Amino acid sequence: MAEIAGTMAGSRLEFARRVDAVSTNQRALDTFLRGVERRALRMAELACGSRDDALDVVQDAMCAFVRNYAAKPEADWAPLFHRVLDSRLNDFHRRRTVRGRWLAVFERKSADDDALDPIEQAQDMQDPGPLLRLAGSEAGKALDVALKALPLRQRQAFLLRMWEGFDVATTARVMQCSEGSVKTHLSRALAALRRALEDHQ
Amino acid sequence: MNTNHHSNDRPAWIDQANRVLDDSVRDLDAATLSRLNRARQAALAQQRPRTPRAWLLPAGLASACALLLAVIVWQPHRHIETQQPAPIATGASAAVDDGDSEESTAEFYQNLEFYAWLDAQNKGGDG
Repeated sequence: MAEIAGTMAGSRLEFARRVDAVSTNQRALDTFLRGVERRALRMAELACGSRDDALDVVQDAMCAFVRNYAAKPEADWAPLFHRVLDSRLNDFHRRRTVRGRWLAVFERKSADDDALDPIEQAQDMQDPGPLLRLAGSEAGKALDVALKALPLRQRQAFLLRMWEGFDVATTARVMQCSEGSVKTHLSRALAALRRALEDHQ
Repeated sequence: MNTNHHSNDRPAWIDQANRVLDDSVRDLDAATLSRLNRARQAALAQQRPRTPRAWLLPAGLASACALLLAVIVWQPHRHIETQQPAPIATGASAAVDDGDSEESTAEFYQNLEFYAWLDAQNKGGDG
């Protein structure tokens, strides 16, 4: 009986330690999710086109992230969360494409692999740029329209590299593609954005 | 994560675009913030410790010990019970008195006073 009591006490201690560890982990997760949720929502909104769909995608991504990756080191959380989100956005995009085909209202966007002249894409570092020439909310609207017009992969490459500040290798891991693909998507995204913003003026 | 660093080798309009994007997530309406909060809480709720699972090991161990104890306690009784029917089966005469049997010995010592009294009665009757 003393042995059983000892085992029970040990288990109780182990349980208390686990509860404590989970609480600490939950606080860290809460802080992390608070930090990324708004940007995640913005990314999802640009991809889904509606805030309701975007909120559903973000919630789904949060749940999947906590379920599968909460035990991973905190340093890996950001790329892992964006990987889950990117995967959910791809799924959403696929579903919408299939639905669109069935409904025969699918609006074809410009092909992702348009041949672009690399010299034409080169940036003039002295030029203030198209956004600086647009004022205030005009700039926001112009950027929103330009980003929404981008193909999903190009937009993700731009947002992850330029906005989230991930390096090429991390972006490639998040997007589950090669580093070369990331560079290609980003280059095309920058060229397309610049063109779109120039046209907007 | 987001570093928002200015890079010398990237065009200024990209930094401007980052600022525009940052501004767009700063002022979200209350309904959206509330839904984001609920989404976060729903995700975190999946991670809370589940008490029953934590108690499975000690509960299982206690059950196993109780079962083992029951088997140990039950075994000798079963041994005695299986031995008892044998004399009955051999015949009535054998069942009447078996001095070697532990049970009979115990019964004898329990009724020792009765036998002493019976003996005294017999002696009194004789004398």
